[in-house]
Amino acid sequence: MISVRNVYKNFGELKVLKGVSSEIQKGEKVAIIGPSGSGKSTLLRCMNLLEEPTYGEIWLDDKLLTPADPYLHPEVIAASKTYQSMYQKKGNSNTTELDEEIIREIKEKDLLQKHEGKEYKERLKQIEKDCRVDVNLARQRVGMVFQHFNLFNNLTVMENLTIAPVTLKLQSVEEATEKAGELLKRIGLYEKKDEYPSKLSGGQKQRIAIVRSLVMNPEAILFDEPTSALDPEMVGEVLELIRELAEEGMTMVIVTHEMGFAREVATRVLFMDGGEIKEENTPEEFFGNPQHPRLKEFLSKVL
Amino acid sequence: MTIQSLMNKWNLFIDTFLNKGGYKEVVTGLINTLIIALVALVIGIIIGTIIAAIEVQPKKGKIMMVLNKICTVYVAFFRGTPIVVQLLLGYFVILPLLGWNFSSVVVAIMIMGLNSGAYVSEIMRSGILSVDIGQMEAGRAMGLNYGTTMRKIIIPQAVKNILPTLGNELISLVKETSVVSFIGVVDLYKAFRTIGSGNYEYMMPFLVMAVIYIVIILLITFGLRMMERGLRASDKR
Ligand SMILES: Nc1ncnc2c1ncn2[C@@H]1O[C@H](COP(=O)(O)OP(=O)(O)OP(=O)(O)O)[C@@H](O)[C@H]1O
Ligand SMILES: [Mg+2]
Repeated sequence: MISVRNVYKNFGELKVLKGVSSEIQKGEKVAIIGPSGSGKSTLLRCMNLLEEPTYGEIWLDDKLLTPADPYLHPEVIAASKTYQSMYQKKGNSNTTELDEEIIREIKEKDLLQKHEGKEYKERLKQIEKDCRVDVNLARQRVGMVFQHFNLFNNLTVMENLTIAPVTLKLQSVEEATEKAGELLKRIGLYEKKDEYPSKLSGGQKQRIAIVRSLVMNPEAILFDEPTSALDPEMVGEVLELIRELAEEGMTMVIVTHEMGFAREVATRVLFMDGGEIKEENTPEEFFGNPQHPRLKEFLSKVL
Repeated sequence: MTIQSLMNKWNLFIDTFLNKGGYKEVVTGLINTLIIALVALVIGIIIGTIIAAIEVQPKKGKIMMVLNKICTVYVAFFRGTPIVVQLLLGYFVILPLLGWNFSSVVVAIMIMGLNSGAYVSEIMRSGILSVDIGQMEAGRAMGLNYGTTMRKIIIPQAVKNILPTLGNELISLVKETSVVSFIGVVDLYKAFRTIGSGNYEYMMPFLVMAVIYIVIILLITFGLRMMERGLRASDKR
């Protein structure tokens, strides 16, 4: 349901993601682990466009969230002046088939220029016209939980939960309040509904942040180290809530340092290192039989 | 100067003030001064907030780029020229050119408001930047757009952070209104000047004027303290 296609992300000179691709299927629980600075958060934040990929595309089902990337569409490349001049130079007689070799060469050497002719531009535009959606609409479908909770400090717990669905006119005030009330009861924090976040413990804040994303009825939730900022005694209650959601079938992507949790809850584990996915596997294989030397080294340090 | 001559000056002032209707002038002046300062502050906060929200937007589209340029010029103009010049330009140049027929008080309010907007925008910008970036990210991640997140989440927190500084802006507005008489508005200064000009005796009128200014400033300062204390208490709720 979330598709990351050949994503690169540069912060100025710093290359943080170097060609990451991954398909997150509905119902999957994908854990992302890896050393600090390897680009885990950046990858996760690209999935809902809190970071805009420098190259590559992000898809949510059949909706494109980023600008179309010509390198991912052979038919667009084929319409480029570069392709056509290479094609002629090669003296190709077959005029209908795409020349895979040229396409590969263009991709590898990054040969596309800024201006590649009208036809090229139009094909690129057509893709965006057919598939691209407003990023705000896409974000309504994918929740996000942050390391530092990011509850809205100027709003009460109840207002934190209802502001998005009500403002976006997805639910009436009554509907949203009822739904939020149920969710708060579920996590045993209903009596805190009129408190401000500053009065809550870290564990309470994070559980409220999680149900805040649930009020929107998301199809998937992205977690960025949801327990890293918590005191040890509060980690359990938050992981327990995430585990429950996982069991209920929520699609989730979790960046985490909790190896035990990843092993237990994830259906697939990705290892990020140096801006690339170096290994991905089922948790059994991933932890039981790691292949990549960097992963072996990493696991030997953290386990 | 003898005590006797001071007493004489004082009696003369009281006579003009009470018996010759000078107090009416002063009441008008006081009301104008306060109204101009307060309404200008409101206008300034609105304009300043809009400018700040435009300026801090990280990724600007074409329209936003143009708006941002306009804001830059606006702020540069209002911060870079004397307020007297702005008042004179507004009243004697812009108004006739547009063929509008506003009273000088209205013009004073508008110019002071526009001027204040330039200063408030800087205050507001630092207020917005003082709000944790995660607040904006959380709002955006839920599908709220930039403007809505600004309005409902960021700006309320920013305003709370900059309340003391906004109070100072009100104080400097009260002080700056003393130049509006350049375009014929009767403010506190003008009122006392009129009283004095009746018999060329300015000492007491201006002394009393100074005292009134000080009292106003002290009252505002006190009010702001109470407000801050109230806010801090609500934090501890
Ligand atoms: N907005 C930004 N501007 C500049 N550099 C950034 C930005 N965000 C991240 N980086 C850099 O990108 C690199 C990867 O960051 P990222 O947060 O994705 O790492 P991470 O794998 O999540 O690490 P950690 O485990 O410490 O959270 C880091 O070197 C970081 O300093
Ligand atoms: Mg991170």
